[in-house]
Amino acid sequence: MGLKDKLVTWARVKSPWVFHMNTGACNACDIEVIAALMPRYDIERFGIILVGSPRHADVMIGTGSITKQMTPRFKRLYEQMPEPKFVIAVGNCAISGGVFKGCYNIEGGYDRIIPVDMYVPGCPPKPEAIIDAVAKLIGKLQGG
Amino acid sequence: MSTVKIPIGPQHPALKEPVNFTVEVDGEQVVDAKVRIGYNHRGIEKAAELRTYVRDIYLLERVCGICSHSHTTTFVQGVEELLDEEVPRRGLYIRTIVCELERLHSHMLWLGVAGHEIGFDTLLHYTWRDRELVMDFLEMISGNRVNYAMNTIGGVRRDISKENIPKIKKGMDIFRERLNYYLKLCINEPTVLKRTQGIGVLPPDIARKLGAVGPTLRASGINMDCRKDDPNAAYDEVPFDVVTWDTCDVFGRVAVRILEMVQSCNMIQWLLDHLPKDEIRLKLKRRVPEGEVLSRYEAPRGELIHYIKSNGSDKPERVKIRTPTLANWPSVEYMLKGGYIADVPITIASIDPCLSCTDRITFVNTEKEKTWTMDLESLRRYGIEFYKKNGR
Amino acid sequence: MSEPEAEKAKPKPKPSSKEDEKLKAEIEKAFGAAVEVWIPRAKRIFIKVKPGDHRKVIQWMKDNWDVQHVTTISGVDKGETFEIVYHLYKYQGYRTYPNIKTEIPKNNPKIETIVDILPSANFYEREAHDLLGIVFENHPNLKRLILPDDWPEGVYPLRKDWLPEGVE
Repeated sequence: MGLKDKLVTWARVKSPWVFHMNTGACNACDIEVIAALMPRYDIERFGIILVGSPRHADVMIGTGSITKQMTPRFKRLYEQMPEPKFVIAVGNCAISGGVFKGCYNIEGGYDRIIPVDMYVPGCPPKPEAIIDAVAKLIGKLQGG
Repeated sequence: MSTVKIPIGPQHPALKEPVNFTVEVDGEQVVDAKVRIGYNHRGIEKAAELRTYVRDIYLLERVCGICSHSHTTTFVQGVEELLDEEVPRRGLYIRTIVCELERLHSHMLWLGVAGHEIGFDTLLHYTWRDRELVMDFLEMISGNRVNYAMNTIGGVRRDISKENIPKIKKGMDIFRERLNYYLKLCINEPTVLKRTQGIGVLPPDIARKLGAVGPTLRASGINMDCRKDDPNAAYDEVPFDVVTWDTCDVFGRVAVRILEMVQSCNMIQWLLDHLPKDEIRLKLKRRVPEGEVLSRYEAPRGELIHYIKSNGSDKPERVKIRTPTLANWPSVEYMLKGGYIADVPITIASIDPCLSCTDRITFVNTEKEKTWTMDLESLRRYGIEFYKKNGR
Repeated sequence: MSEPEAEKAKPKPKPSSKEDEKLKAEIEKAFGAAVEVWIPRAKRIFIKVKPGDHRKVIQWMKDNWDVQHVTTISGVDKGETFEIVYHLYKYQGYRTYPNIKTEIPKNNPKIETIVDILPSANFYEREAHDLLGIVFENHPNLKRLILPDDWPEGVYPLRKDWLPEGVE
């Protein structure tokens, strides 16, 4: 890797910026994602910051199954993220639709719409599982 | 007077949820507001008809992750009424204990989120740290921090062991001390007062007319609480007071929620002291005889109702759910009028909306024919800056 | 502070519905044969009326019992008809929950709105319209409430004859 690439990878690994997206969930996964940022679990010690806009983000953490209304907006938000981008699908609903599979108005899991890098199963997954996923992702980033 | 129409697609502050408001403004003041919901519609009522009662418990638990136990409690007690069976007392007590623990975690979550909305992020971090105490107890009792799956038709699935009871009681004492600290903070801290007093005013007659429920209604002085009006589970035995406040504004809702948490701590301790020696569940039939039932419960956000019709089979004929947030939206439309744009996030947050969806706020200046978008994060920052400039 | 070693907890007696019986008598006196009233348990009063009469009964409840709160409006698809249940709440004095039922034919699902009497019915009528296709005449704003904007017109998911894709 050239010097520029090494610098960029170092910056990404040291401090991935995360954008949190809720595409139609029941909020259980969301509160566990937020709990991961709070003093008890404190994901911020890994240098992770929650940003408000996808244009500033390296990683998208998505929760909830995709409702039909959210599908175009979701695609748009994914396209707004700059390359290279990574997607973590948190919770059973994001992976496959979860309990709501088969309901009208539900598209299904994330990988029907966009490519996913990390799946975190659980309903909802505990904050420790979410931190584990982010740590593994950082390891993947380090690999280049 | 020139007005500007602003579509707002709010998010529940830290929990991005969608709702779309169109807000008409004149300068900085809001003149009118209209709400458009539905971005999180998942077709649950239809799915509930296609699944058996037992599978429906797990489906309904996930209507809302924050008040999941409320939904299962309401559903399960409705089916128990249709089956005309009495749940053993110990089962009812444990159900009520988990209900009150859920109220604690939900109100604490809200307090942090409200702090975040007015720019008081320290409050967010403090309250969510204290909330972890309640999450530990929920995990101790049920095995999971969220979506506890404690309820089943006929009672509860797990018992509270003898060793855990003193731990939970001591935890409630610690929690109560923290609540007293937050109450003193909110009453004395000028930043909190200036962003919440006189904001989002909802007079009591309007609140009743528009059908508001929960702490939103009780902060306007109306003492409507399903736990007293239509007691279910163990609420007719445990002593508690209905908390009301008469300032009708956002500060009233903060005060009502904190005081309700104090009441819940006392209730949990009483229930643990008086746990009867009994079974925790009955094994009940799977086929429910024909009938209809109205099941009601005071969820943390307000009155939750399930109307269940059965047809003799093991699947329900109709499950109608009305969540408390739906009842509060017309009140939000009223409350936004006459306030500043900067007050929009905290006013919407004060009813503790439970939706899921993210949307954007589009501002339309019809006079200058210009449109611009602001997401709720930016609107929140706008509000904080606005008040800083205007000496608040 | 714990209870001494207790014997097995006795089952609770069911709460009495005496007050509801008094209210039932009031309604029957006012409307006679136009209403059919029954009380399945304490704090639940069910009243069955014909579709045109529901407004009269609701107005009477507002004037005499100060009923202002509509908890929700349920629509049930019974095959040939729709059953509409108005769930109300009586706040003053003895607190109880009156429910007004009425039935309309499925091939002509029209009924008059009650929004002018009880404004809190607004969203619930819109929801019933969205999901079941019931038309509430003279409603000020009977637009979509919860289905997405691009949901096809005339498709009502909560009707029994409609199933989501992939379900037989």
